[in-house]
This record gives sequence, structure tokens and C-alpha cells, in this order.
Amino acid sequence: MASTQPPPTRPRPGYGTNPNPNPNLNSLVGSVQNMQIGNRPSQPPPGPAYVGGIPPQPNNHFGPPGPIVRPGPPPPHSSARPVGAPAGFVAGRPLSAPMVNNGPFTSPPGGPGPFRGNPPQTISSTSGNQGPFSGGPVPQTLNGPSASQTPFSGAPMTQPAVSGGPFASHPPPSSQTPLGGRSLPVRPPFSGPPSSQPPFPGAPPQSSRPPMMAAPPTSQSPFMGPVPSQPSITSTPPASQPPFIGGPFPMFRQPFPGRPPSSQLPYGPGAGQAMPNPSFPGAPPPSQPFNQMPQPPSHQFPGSQMVRGPPGSGISHGSQPWSSQTTQSSPQGMLGMSSTMAPPPPRMYGMATQAPVSPMMGHSPGSTPSKIDPSQVPRPMPSGSSPVIFETRIGGQASIPPPATSDFIVRDTGNCSPRYMRSTINQIPCTGDLLSTSALQLSLLVQPFALPHPSEEPIQVVDFGESGPLRCSRCKGYINPFMKFIEQGRRFVCNLCGSVDQTPRDYLCNLGPDGRRRDVDERPELCRGTVEFVATKEYMVRDPMPAVFFFLIDVSMNAVQTGATAAACSAISQAIADLPEGPRTKVGVATYDSTIHFYNLKRSLQQPLMLIVPDVQDVYTPLHTDIVVQFPECRQPLEQLLENIPIMFENTKIAESALCAAMKACSLSMKPTGGKLLVFQSVLPSVGIGSLTSREAEGRTNISIGEKEAHKLLQPADKNLKTMAIEFAEYQVCVDIFISSQTYVDIASISVIPRTTGGQVYYYYPFSALSDSAKLYNDLRWNVTRPQGFEAVMRVRCTQGLQVQDYFGNFCKRIPTDIDLPGIDSDKTIMVTFKHDDKFQEGSECAFQCAILYTTVYGQRRIRVSNLSLPCTSMLSNIFRSADLDSHFATFLKRAANDVPTNPLSHVREQVTNLCINTLHAYRKYCATVSSTGQLILPETLKLLPLYTLALTKSVGLLADGRFDDRSYWINRAFILSTALCVPLVYPRMIAIQDLASMEDGMLVPPVLSLSSDQVTDDGIYFLENGEDALVYVGNSVDTDVLQKIFGASSIDAIPTQFVLKQYDNELSKKLNEMVSEIQRQRCSYLRLRLCKKDDPSGILFFSYMIEDKTPSGLSYLDFLVRLHRQIQTKMA
Amino acid sequence: MDFAEIESIEGLRFPWNTWPSLASSSSSSEAAALFTPILPLSLLHTPLFPITDLPLLPYDPLHCHSCNSTLNPYARVDYRYAIWTCSFCHASNHFPKSYSRIGENQLPVELFPTHSSVEYSLRINKDGGVGIVFVVDLAMDESEMAVLKREIMGVVTGLDDTVSVGLITFGEGGSVWVYDLGFGECSRVVVFDGTREISIDKISELLSNSNFTTNHPSFGLGKSSSTSGKFGFLLPISECEFNITSAIDEIACSSQSIPGHRTERATGSAIAAAVAMLGVCLPQQRGRILVFTSGPATIGPGMIVQTDLGEQIRTHNDILSSKAPFYLKACEFYNNLATKLCEKSLVLDLFACSLDQVGASEMRDPVENSGGLMLLAESFESGQFKKCLRYIFRRKNSDHLDMNFNATIEVVTSRDIKICGALGPCMSLRNKNRSVCNKEIGHGGTNLWKLGTITNKTCIAFFFKVTNRRNTPQSGPVFFLQFQTRYRHGDGGYRLRVTTAARRWSYSISSEVVSGFDQEAAASIMARLAVLRAKKYDSRDVIRWIDKLLIRFCSTFGEYIQEDPSSFRLSSNLSLFPQFMYYLRRSQFIDVFNNTPDETTFFRLMLNREGVVGSLIMIQPTLFQYSFDGPPVPVVLDISSVSSNVILLFDSYFYVVIHYGTKIAQWRKLGYHNDPSHENFRKLLEAPELDLEMLLSDRFPTQKVIRCDQYGSQARFLLAKLNPSLTQKSPSAPDGADIILTDDVSLEIFIEHLQELAVQA
Repeated sequence: MASTQPPPTRPRPGYGTNPNPNPNLNSLVGSVQNMQIGNRPSQPPPGPAYVGGIPPQPNNHFGPPGPIVRPGPPPPHSSARPVGAPAGFVAGRPLSAPMVNNGPFTSPPGGPGPFRGNPPQTISSTSGNQGPFSGGPVPQTLNGPSASQTPFSGAPMTQPAVSGGPFASHPPPSSQTPLGGRSLPVRPPFSGPPSSQPPFPGAPPQSSRPPMMAAPPTSQSPFMGPVPSQPSITSTPPASQPPFIGGPFPMFRQPFPGRPPSSQLPYGPGAGQAMPNPSFPGAPPPSQPFNQMPQPPSHQFPGSQMVRGPPGSGISHGSQPWSSQTTQSSPQGMLGMSSTMAPPPPRMYGMATQAPVSPMMGHSPGSTPSKIDPSQVPRPMPSGSSPVIFETRIGGQASIPPPATSDFIVRDTGNCSPRYMRSTINQIPCTGDLLSTSALQLSLLVQPFALPHPSEEPIQVVDFGESGPLRCSRCKGYINPFMKFIEQGRRFVCNLCGSVDQTPRDYLCNLGPDGRRRDVDERPELCRGTVEFVATKEYMVRDPMPAVFFFLIDVSMNAVQTGATAAACSAISQAIADLPEGPRTKVGVATYDSTIHFYNLKRSLQQPLMLIVPDVQDVYTPLHTDIVVQFPECRQPLEQLLENIPIMFENTKIAESALCAAMKACSLSMKPTGGKLLVFQSVLPSVGIGSLTSREAEGRTNISIGEKEAHKLLQPADKNLKTMAIEFAEYQVCVDIFISSQTYVDIASISVIPRTTGGQVYYYYPFSALSDSAKLYNDLRWNVTRPQGFEAVMRVRCTQGLQVQDYFGNFCKRIPTDIDLPGIDSDKTIMVTFKHDDKFQEGSECAFQCAILYTTVYGQRRIRVSNLSLPCTSMLSNIFRSADLDSHFATFLKRAANDVPTNPLSHVREQVTNLCINTLHAYRKYCATVSSTGQLILPETLKLLPLYTLALTKSVGLLADGRFDDRSYWINRAFILSTALCVPLVYPRMIAIQDLASMEDGMLVPPVLSLSSDQVTDDGIYFLENGEDALVYVGNSVDTDVLQKIFGASSIDAIPTQFVLKQYDNELSKKLNEMVSEIQRQRCSYLRLRLCKKDDPSGILFFSYMIEDKTPSGLSYLDFLVRLHRQIQTKMA
Repeated sequence: MDFAEIESIEGLRFPWNTWPSLASSSSSSEAAALFTPILPLSLLHTPLFPITDLPLLPYDPLHCHSCNSTLNPYARVDYRYAIWTCSFCHASNHFPKSYSRIGENQLPVELFPTHSSVEYSLRINKDGGVGIVFVVDLAMDESEMAVLKREIMGVVTGLDDTVSVGLITFGEGGSVWVYDLGFGECSRVVVFDGTREISIDKISELLSNSNFTTNHPSFGLGKSSSTSGKFGFLLPISECEFNITSAIDEIACSSQSIPGHRTERATGSAIAAAVAMLGVCLPQQRGRILVFTSGPATIGPGMIVQTDLGEQIRTHNDILSSKAPFYLKACEFYNNLATKLCEKSLVLDLFACSLDQVGASEMRDPVENSGGLMLLAESFESGQFKKCLRYIFRRKNSDHLDMNFNATIEVVTSRDIKICGALGPCMSLRNKNRSVCNKEIGHGGTNLWKLGTITNKTCIAFFFKVTNRRNTPQSGPVFFLQFQTRYRHGDGGYRLRVTTAARRWSYSISSEVVSGFDQEAAASIMARLAVLRAKKYDSRDVIRWIDKLLIRFCSTFGEYIQEDPSSFRLSSNLSLFPQFMYYLRRSQFIDVFNNTPDETTFFRLMLNREGVVGSLIMIQPTLFQYSFDGPPVPVVLDISSVSSNVILLFDSYFYVVIHYGTKIAQWRKLGYHNDPSHENFRKLLEAPELDLEMLLSDRFPTQKVIRCDQYGSQARFLLAKLNPSLTQKSPSAPDGADIILTDDVSLEIFIEHLQELAVQA
């Protein structure tokens, strides 16, 4: 595993780390080690926890890993730490890392200010240590003992050796080499370790270093780059790095901060509902999550030797990289996989950092089987608290975007904001072979309506008048900054298909001396990556549709009795206040049980009129007018009606539900206009067209036979719904379904409709009127107020040489090139995959253009065009260096979600793991140095990929024992999830609420803990959230005072299971509420809170999120790394 | 024989009062061969004929255990053993204990020879009210709608509290709304898509599914035990007065016609929904569906034409030449509906107030067979409509509607007589027994018929066949027929009217046969048969058929010397029959020229239920002349009766014309009738008006009244019916005499030809 990649900037984990100013503190090794150590150490609490967790793992582990990546240093504490210094590093790491990377990749060191820091070299020079970190990632390899090696083998450094047979096998020495990774760099990382040396036997380091040095130049970069995470680097790089460093950090940090502000607005505090959404916009959320998590680990690091290692390696691995460990590693030993080792150490950690360390050390030195030091394993790092400014192009070159999860402000200088389009690789391989060699995915994650940062410039609207926007006559691509004007501007060359067109007379403009049009800066379409064109009649088959919102409410007995009906009515009643204003907004309401009830809202002076459609086999609309009416006109009757509905159906005895028929009837009512159909459903649709059966129960009874076929329950029951959905899409009806149920409702079947119509599924299970009403309202409100468009058609074009292979997401596809989106909004992401059909020239650019033609809520027809032009490269190392972890993982997730319903689970899990292995193997094989064979080397940019891959295999959707509805819902969510929210879905962030008390002012969210049960103690209260659900875990022996403060209850048992977070008059409660609001703002989602208690099913649920633990269905993180290493070894052989 | 007098006792008119027996000599078979083909053995029965002195017996009748006939004056009673022998099947029956006091001097009423008709009041629990459903077309003018709403509202407010009402509307886009009147929170309607054909059962099921009332607090389960509380679609007025009145009040027309298109009307679906709704909500089966429509059905089942105005509504020619694409389908749909109506004993009334056809022709079966009423008028504002609607809801006395429901008629015959069928507002129940003949005429194959409703004018023609093969009829010289009409009286109780008739057999064409010929009844029967035939065949075929029959009739019963037309004579008993046939040939029943299929249907439907008197007027209208010369006198229905100084009152049943001669008209225009010195002119003008009123008071549905002056355009209504004895071709037309411009033959010529043909061998 080589890590490697320096990727530039990728702050990836954006861990806020910054804190560590320390970076400098130590340079090199020392620092490195410290970092790990330091940080965590300080955090005593965590430490222990980790330990616990880790221990188990030990066996397999690669000791090394631990050290490595760990991104996240412990925030606060770190500084505190006496160790301080080290800690400091940690912080630094981010920087450093970057630096490293840069160097390597971009040859142009300086160039890209931001990320690329070339620094690597520097780093190395500096303290080798840091280097390691930064570059680190890669390196991490674990070394297994020679024997064991297979896995990591080579690993690293000596230490590794220690490690047990497994990985370590390769003696350290070799390991080091490994570090270098094929590519050069790798090693360096290790070398970095020097400082760490202690651990490593000197040898490794050295060797490593050299590599490093070398590396930087070329390949190395890989390692270095990214990882910045750890402080490590930081200091080192002094020279070159600094620049980068500086850059990076800031960037990260800023982002975060930014958010905060906004945050409040949204969901608002407890009140929740109230909050203005606006805030959401701040996508920011993502970043943070990770941060915290990492940190904890870091603490541990310290303990582990890894730390040290890293430093040493400094260059190469940033901390992150596993590699680093290697380097450092060696000390750590890495990664080693010595199984044995591990155990002990962990515990040790618990407390004294040092103590642990020593063990680690021991290992490494021992060269025996080294174990992976759990605390050194790569983990997400906290991101900075203030947003980074990101310019999409600098000096005519595409910049590599900051992690999706971090907080950043985009300045559109020619490429679109990464929020709109993010590529999995920021340099396009010149050939398909190169791409397949890398085993990376080439996809774009397109989120055309993504929320911008509040400080970003709005998208400019360009009106070309009657002629419509200027387009290429051959490929119909829209004018963009990359179209080249020639012959004094009289003609222009399309950057997508290469054809030459006449410039229309009124668009003529002379070229300046630089060969560009003189008016470039005045014309947004020529200087901005994203613009909106005003669509002309040519783009309309009919007048732009009004904004239609049709509410369909389940009033069957179950829905009424559980309070779902009342909750829905109340939510609608409140949410309509926020509907877009103006005469073009129309609304309609219908209810259904075994029949469908429409309401004529146009009778202001008379009683409302309920129109019942009894035929649920063959539905129709009862009226062709007056069902959907202009909103302002009918507000009064509508509100009255919503108030009455729960009363009218209060005593209903009708248990049947004709959901699908009702949807169809509504769509017929909406046929003339199209619009949004918001469905509130509670039970399995049991009658009428599209009725379903309780397949789950049937599936369970046949479990023995059905094991193989189990995934079929995740497929729609029949084709009726699909047919219906396509019909809806034709009418431009977008369906969102809010399922508030307590039973099986066959989401797998129902979801076909939202999925085909550009809608989404909301799921409240088990529904509780008490605790879910607020979320329902907030979800609905956000649903109707978020930026969105209707009757959209989207197409992605790209430069010849590539072609669009497929689209993934919620839409309806009738012709291969376009996707129809009856509705599209800021939360929806569409993944577009590409394949090569030709070669690119090195140095040329490959452009992507996403054009989406849509109608705004105010009835204007617009074309939003986003352009992304990326350099092409024939260097594999460049590809790894420019890989984007978040989007990569997003592709993993979405592909898995796509595969789960059609393949046996084991197959899917294996496939996901193989994707990860193949990538790491490719890196190991082509980019890591020869000598690193025994190590697990990870590309810096992708060093967290194993962790997330593991998390993915343990996620709800990929576990066989979950409820089918839960899994279907998970799949649905994964399908539309934005890049920034993909990771949290499988790797939630966990926060210790008691940490709130000691949190610094200005910070809203405390540091994140890694997802290991070691982190959870009986006297703590933990908050775990994945962007949608939040679990509040209350330990058994929590101080009653704390309970009183937070829950207003004197004992655990006194807290109601369906609880609502209230704000009490004390600091802790206030901070907790603020934190929750902040998180909700970040996630653009009102969290669904659930209380978890130990020794209770809810507690089991909570622990199921402890991804790093060993579970019946999955390996522990360390074991997983070992397994990866072993498989890579096998492949190598 | 005064047939009318007999009718007033029995409610029966026999064209032949003696029937030929096949049983005996060759001469009898000859007789049979002679007159059965001429005119089938038949009779016209008005089951609820208002008979004076009709005894109403407060107990259940005694039925013969073998043939189900009831005890009647023709039964032989053995007082000693308390046994009676059925006159139909000769089975012996014991009298029950309640008859123990029976004796020669103490006869139960039903054995009184004078009481060949008696009525029993059956002791069956009476429960459930009447259900009335209003089916309203929304696609009409505001003004029309306003009138209609007012009328319906008037009906509703005039109903007893126990009467259940329902409301269905159909309009925009072909949707059909069934109102739920039991829902308090808001107006609630169940909507059907009228453009689709759904079976009644399916609609019933859907309605049941949509029922909400049982679950509603104000109509909780407690009330569902009451007969009508279960469904909100049909509720007693006492429970839904507010809802029904506000629902009627809120009916808004939805005529948004697209230029070049007819409005969409799903009349068929609306009716089907009403049938289904009553079926679901009204198990006790006393329901009436009133359909108010203002235009053609253009969508859904039962549509008669597409909305595109480029397409014409079907004509008689289209139908005969199969160019009416929707006709057969619509007829089939309505046929099925008729069956359902019969099953559920519901009545369908059609009020079509439209300038266009509405599809009444297709709707004939359900309306006719259920005994419903059909009204074709031009506007809801017309008096015709208003009177008619009020007539339906008239009260006999203050406590109940004069409306009978759910009637069945059972016919019991002597052994040698087989039942072929019935023509009239009834439906065969297909109840076969040994007295049912395989040959069917009209609604046949049964001895039991169902009528959704029955009035005291409802008249049904029954057809029989004599099949005795034995040499001597067991029953001797007499045969018996018994009609048992069971119905639900307006007061809610069940009644059974039993009429037993006895007639003689004849064994040859004797004077008895001739004197027993009721030419009026025969004309009525002929008319019904002709109409039946006209359903299938072109009118020329029908006319040919009539002619053929008439010729045979004349050659059989006329007295003449072969080949000498001038010698031809018919006995006075038969002499008018050819004339009736002449007018029948020319009538609107047969000659459909100038009438739409809807109108023709209406005429035929009316003919089919009218008694002898009424149908005779339809066939040969009456013409009265008012002059200064004396009291009003009936005059010949001939052009020669038209004169400038008389007023003519012409009554063709469907319309009445008051025709003022030119002079009279002139005087009237000059206002002489206002001049006291011309008092008798005023009286002359008033006289026909008074008579007219009398005519109208008794007619139902009310006919159209036309007042016209001689030579006025409206006079065509009169001229069309007069015998064209003087035409443009008549050489002998005296100067100044009115003539009729026509190519039709006059009565005289017709008779001449008839004589010629009759005397031929």
C-alpha cells in the first residue's frame, strides 16, 4: 500500500487541525511523533478508549498504519499537551503534507500555490520527519514481518519487522524501500521517520529518506501531498512548504468558520423549525465531521511509535499516509501488521502515551512482526475552522479543489465550482489504458444546484436575446471560457468537439495581444465556469410551468392513529408559508386511504368540497380545473382544510392504502403543468394499482431458500411502478415521498417513483409523532424552499476522447445522452461516468460541460452551464496525486448502492473491497518504490479510502441483517447524496458531549472521536450523527448532574426513549443545542434524534456504528488493513 | 257488447272476446288457422285499473297449491268439505281455518261473482322508505339550471321526511359526481370518470369502499342499523335536509364548450352510477332515478355522438343503414342497465329538455321497462316539464306519494292456453312454467313480469296461444285467465290485485266471434305489434305487414262477392278497423319521416303503455269543431273539416292543436272577444280552452299545446294528420276549399284498394 500521493492540496480530511500551529515545533520526526502522541495524549479520555478498541485488533494489524494517517489530530488537547511539541506538529501536518505533495506532482512547485506544495523535497530536507507525515500517507505501509509480509510485507521499516509475521515480514529495510513506493517518494516518507528513528532502526529511515528526496521530484509527490493532515509536515517544509502550507490551512480553516455563522439560521435551535434554511447553504458541514474524529486517534498516536515514524518520514507520508508510518514507521512498525503487537499497545495507549509507544517501538525495532499501531492508522482529520478561498483556475491551470467536506469559498475563474462538478481525478489520463492501470474511477459528481457559500458570487445570468446562447453548431456545446477564438475573433473553435464556427456578427470582438478576446472579462460566459443563459422559445415546448406543489396525505387508519396524518397536515400548514411567492405558485391537496380524496380549494365562500376517486384500479382526476389552484387565492381554505383533515378522519376504520393509485391520480391532475408531488405515506400500499405485498415477511419465512435471492427484496416488486414513474416523468411530475411508518412499506418498490422523477424518499421509522414532527416539518420546509428547478433536461458533454458512459442518480432517461429531471434541487447529485474513446495529448485539456435546461420556481426558463477543464496527463503518479478522495468514495458508494439490489451482498462487498485493493495495488505497483514491497503503501490522496471502504462494507445497506426498508432507504439516499455527505453516511462523526464543557469559545462542535468502542465510556454521553440521524448515547454511569443538565432528568431511566432535545438553562445544554443546530446547518438536514442506552437494542444500534470495531460481519479497521495488505501482496506476487 | 264497461270491471280488453279452440272439429282448426295469423290472441290489461267498488281485503289470498292461482269467483267450492277446486288446474284445495265459517250464504269477498277483481293488502312487513335520486346534467345554461334547481328543490322540500334522497351530477370532462350527504365537515362527492365503462357491480363496490358515513362521528355505527343510515349517498331527508339543499344550491353549471364541439356529457355513466348507488344504499327496493339532461350523451358508455360538431347525431336512416357508429353499443349498454334496473326494481325517468336529441332512443329500454317516464321538451322552463315533474310527486292524500313500486304481474291460464309474452312497460322475469309458450312475443318466456313502477294507467298487452290438442277441452266452453299484480303501494304496504277473467271458446267463425271483436283493442294491439316490428324493420316493411294482415282480415270477416269490390261490407263491429289501420300506417309510430329517433322512441314508448283509449287517440287523433252553429261536435279527421269560420280542437295525445279559422282569427285579432257585444264570440274562443284544460288534466306526461291560425305555419301540426281527401292532385277540389299538399293516398283510396284486394281469391 502505498500511499503516496501527495496530492496536492487535498486537505482531504480537512481536518481542522490547524490548531497545531505547532507544526513548527518540531520539525521532523520529533514533531511527528509528537503529534500523534501529543495530541492524543492530551486527550486522555480518548486515549483509553482507543486503546481498548485497538487492542483487539492488534493481531493483525499493521502496526504501522496507525501512525500514519491519522489525520486527525486531536484538536484542542494537542496543544495542551505537554508533549506539546509533538502535538503541535500534528497540527501542522496539514500543511506539511500538502507541501510534500506538491512537490512531487506538480512539478511546478510554486505554481499552484495552494496545494501543491512541492515541498516535499523541502520537507525531506527539513526534518525528514514531517515529510513523512505529509507524504506520509502513502507510506504507511505496514510492514509485516517478512513472513507475513504478504500483506504489507515489506514494510517498512524495521519496525515492521517487528511486527509480526504477517506483514512485517519484510524486514524493515525492505520496508523502507517500500515506502518509497515504486515511485519514489514513497520511501521518503519512511525515511522521514528518521527522526523517529528510534523506532525504526535507523536503517530504514535512511534509506527511506533518500527516496524521499528523490521522490519529491517525481513520484513521491504522491505521498506527500495530501495528507497534510498531520501536522507533520508542517514545519518541515519550511521553505517551500510554507507557502503551501500557509495556503492550505487557511483555506481549510476559513471554510469552517464560515459556516458557523450561517448555521444557526437553518434549523435553528431546538425550535428547529423555524430556522431559515438559508444557512444550510453552507455546505460546509462535511468537512468538520471528519476532523474531529481523527483527532482522537491521533492522541493515541502519540503513544504509538508511529508517530515518530512519521515525522521522520516526514516528507513522504504525511502523517496521514500510512506510509508515513512506514517511515516513521518503521517505528510504528508499522503498519505492521504484526498482529500480536498490537494488542498490547493499545491498551497501553489507554493511558500513557508513551508507554504504548514503547511497545510499538519495540516492535518495530524488533522488526518482528510489527503490528499496526491502531492509533496511527489513517483517520480523517479535523478541518480548519475558517473557510479557504479556492480559485478554480490559477495561471491558466485548473486547481485541485479542496475536500468536499471542508469549508471553502470558491472564486470562479474559469472552471466551475467543485460544488457543481467535481471530478474523481483532477488530471485526466491521456488514455483509457492508463486509467485502467490506475484502477481509479473516472467520474464527475454533478450537483447543478449545489448551495454556494454565502460569500461566493452568485451565478451570472447571460441573455443572448432572441438568438439564444451561442453554441457549437456540431456538438451543440454552449459557449464557454475554453472556446478558442481565432482569425481576429471571426471564428471560434469548440473545445468539446473541435469544430470551427463563424462568430455571429453581433458577437464579434477583436482579439487582444494575448490571443484572447478583449471583452473576455466583461462577458461572464467567457470568463466564468458557471453561467446561466436565458432560454429562448426554442428551448420550450410549452410555456414554462408554474411552481406546483401538490400534497398527498395518507389518512388510512394507521396513519391517523399514529399521528402521522396530523403531523403531515401541520407540517404542510406551516411550510406553505415559505412557498415561493407570486401568482405562479399553485398548490393542491389530496388525501387517500382505500380511495383517493381530492379537494376543491377554489370555493372560498362555500364549504370545502371533497372529491373522491373510488376506482383505485383505474384512476382519473376528478376535475380538470380547481384541483390545483393558485396559492395566494386558496391559502385560507387550504389552511382550514389542513386543520380539518385530521378531524375528519379521526375515527376512520379504513386500514387500506392506495398509495400508488393516489399518486397516479394526482399526477393526472397535475398533467397540464407538472410540478412537485409531496406524498406523506404511512403504510404499505395494499390496494389499487401498484399495490404491494409484505414481501419482507415472506422473505423471512423462506430465509433458507432465500438467502441467495435476498437482494431481490431490494428490487421493485414489479414493473408497474416503473411504468407509472416514467409516466409521471413525462408529465414533469416530481415525486417526493415522506414515509412515516412503523411497519414494512416496501421502500424498494415505492422508491422507484421518486428515483425516476428526480424526487427523493424521506423515511421516519419508527415514526413517533412526538419526536418526528419537527423533523418532518423541517424536511418539508427545506424541500419546498431549497433552490430547485423544474422540468429540467441535463446533458454532460466532454471533449472528444472521452464519452459519457452512464448517469447515476434520480432521473428519467429516455435517450442515451440526456436525462430528464422533472425536479432537481440543491441536494441532488448525479454521478456521470466516462470512458475513453480516444487518446489525449499530454498537455492538452479535457473539458466537461454540464448543461441543464430548467424552469425556475418563478417560471423562467434557464440553461445553467457549468464547465470544467482539466489537464490531461500520461503520468500515473499525477493521476494518483490528483485523485479526489471524497468523490472517489462517492463513486464507490453510489456504485455499491446501485449493485446491492441486483447482486448478492457478499459479492457487492467483495467488489467494493476489490476496487479499493486494485487502486492500492496499482499505486503500489507503479508508483511506489521497489523496495517497499513489504509495506502497505497508500496514496496520500486516498489514504482514507480503506477506512471508508471498510465503513461502506459495514454500512446499513451492505449488511444482510438489516431491515429491508432500512437498506432500501439507505440505497436511495446513497443515490442522490452529495459528495460531501457520502462519507458521513457510512462514517458518522461521534462527539463526546462532555467535551462540550471544556470547548473553547467560538467552537461549536467539539472534536470528533474515532468510531471505535474504545472511545465510548460508561460515564460519557456521546452524540453520533451521519447527516440524517443522530444518536445520543448515554452511558450507564453518567453523572446525574450532567443528566439533569442535558435531559432535565435525574436518571437514565427517566429519560423518555422518544425524546426531544430541549434547551435548559445551563451552559452545557446551551452548548449542546448550539452544537446540534450547527451540525444541522452543516448537513442541511434536521437530525432525527434517538436516545441510545447501553444494554438495550438502541445501544446495539449505536455500537453498530463503531466502524473500527471487529464485528460479526466485518473486520476491525486494523484487520482490514492487514487484509488489504495481504491481498495486495498476493497480487504483487 | 260494451267493451269499455267490461273493462271498468276487469281492467281487461280482449280484441277477441271468444277464442278459437283447436280442440274439436275440423272447423275449429279452420278457425284457428283463420284468425290467429290475423291478430294474435291477446289482451290489454291495465292492472291497477281504477275499478269502482274494488274490495280491499285485509288478509292474504288463498293460492292454489298447484298452479298458484288465487281463490276466485270461478272456483268450485264444496262447502261441506271446505274444499275449493281451482278453475285453472282443477286441483282441490282445502280452506284454511280462517275460512271455517264459509257457507253458501256466507261467501268471502273474493268469491263474489261481481268481484272478478279484488285487491289484497298483504301482511308483509313494510320497511324502508322511498329512495329518489336526482341525476343532473351540469352542462346547461345558467338560466335553465336555475329553473331546474328551483324545481328540484321544490320536489325535495315537498317530500316526506322519510323519503331518502340522493344527488348525482355529471358534467365537466365527463366526470360523474355522487354526493355524500351524510358528511358534515365538508361537501363530499365521489367522482367517477364517466368516460369509462365500468360495470354496475364495480361501481357498487367502489361506492361501498368510498362510504364514509359509518365511520363518521355524527353517523356512527349506532345509526347504521336503521335502514338508510348506512350510506351517506342516500339519506332520509330528515337526516340530510341541510346537505341536500345546500348541495343542490351549490350545483354550478360547467358548460365550457369548446367552439366546434358539443359539451361532454357522460349521461350513461351517471345513470349507471345512480343505479349502482341505489342498489347499494336501498336494499328495500323502492327507488326512482330522475335524470335531467339538456343535450346528447357525448362521452362514455351510452354516448350517441362525438363531441365534434362536424359529426351529425344519428337519424333513422343512419340507424337502419348501420351508419350510427355508437347506436348499437349504446343500446347494448342501456339494455344491460335495464336488466339491472329490473333486478333492483328501480325506475328510471328521463327528462330531456333540449333542442337536440339526447339519446332517448338508446335509452328506451331502461326507461320503458322500468316503467319510467320519458319527457322530451325544449326547455326546463317549459310548463310541460314542470307539470310533469310535479305530477310524478303528486300525493294521493297527504301522507304518501302516489307512487307504486316493485310490481310483479303473474299470469295464470287455463291449461290449453300458453303465454307468449307481453308488450308494455315491464320486464320478463324469465320464470318458465308449463303455461309458458316457446314462441315469444315481446317480453316472453315467462309467466311473471316485473315493473319498476306501476300506475293506474299502466297498460300491458299480453299474448297467448291456444295449444289444446285434446278433442274436448276439459274446461268446457269457457277458459280462464288470472292476473296477479303484486306491488308496493305508495303507503309502503304490499298489495296484490287479482283479476280473474273468463271467456268463451268458439269452435267456428260464428257471429259470436264477430260480435266479440273489439276493434279498438285490436287497433291498440296492432299498433304495439307494429311498433315492435318497427324496431327491427324498415317502416315500409311494417306497412306491408299491416296491409297484409288487414287484407286477410277483410277477406276473412268481410261479406262480399268474390271479385266484386263494390259488394264488400264489414259488420259494424269491424268496420272501423281498416280506418284505424289507415291512420296507424300514417302515424308517427310507423312513418318516422320528419321525426328524430328520439321523438319516435318517445312516441312508441308512450303508445306501449297507454290503454286502449289513449292509444287510439294516438293512432287516430280526435278533432272537435267549435262553431256558432251549435255545441262542439266531433268532426271527421279530414281536410274537409277545416273551415275559416270554426275553431278546431285537435288532440293527437302528444300534442293538442287549437286551430282558428281565418275568420275567427281575424275577429280575434280585432279584439271582438273583448267587446261585450260579442259575448258569444268570447265564449266560442273560451270553449276549446276549457276542453283543452280537461284534456290536459288527465294526461301524463303533459302534451304540447299549439295554438295556430289557419294557414299559419304551426297549422302544419294539424294538416299533417288530416286525411288528405283533397290534395293538389284532386281534380274535383272545389274552389276555395283547403287542400293538403301531399302525395299520400287518402282514406278513400286506401279503402278502395283494400276492398279490391280483399275480394280477390
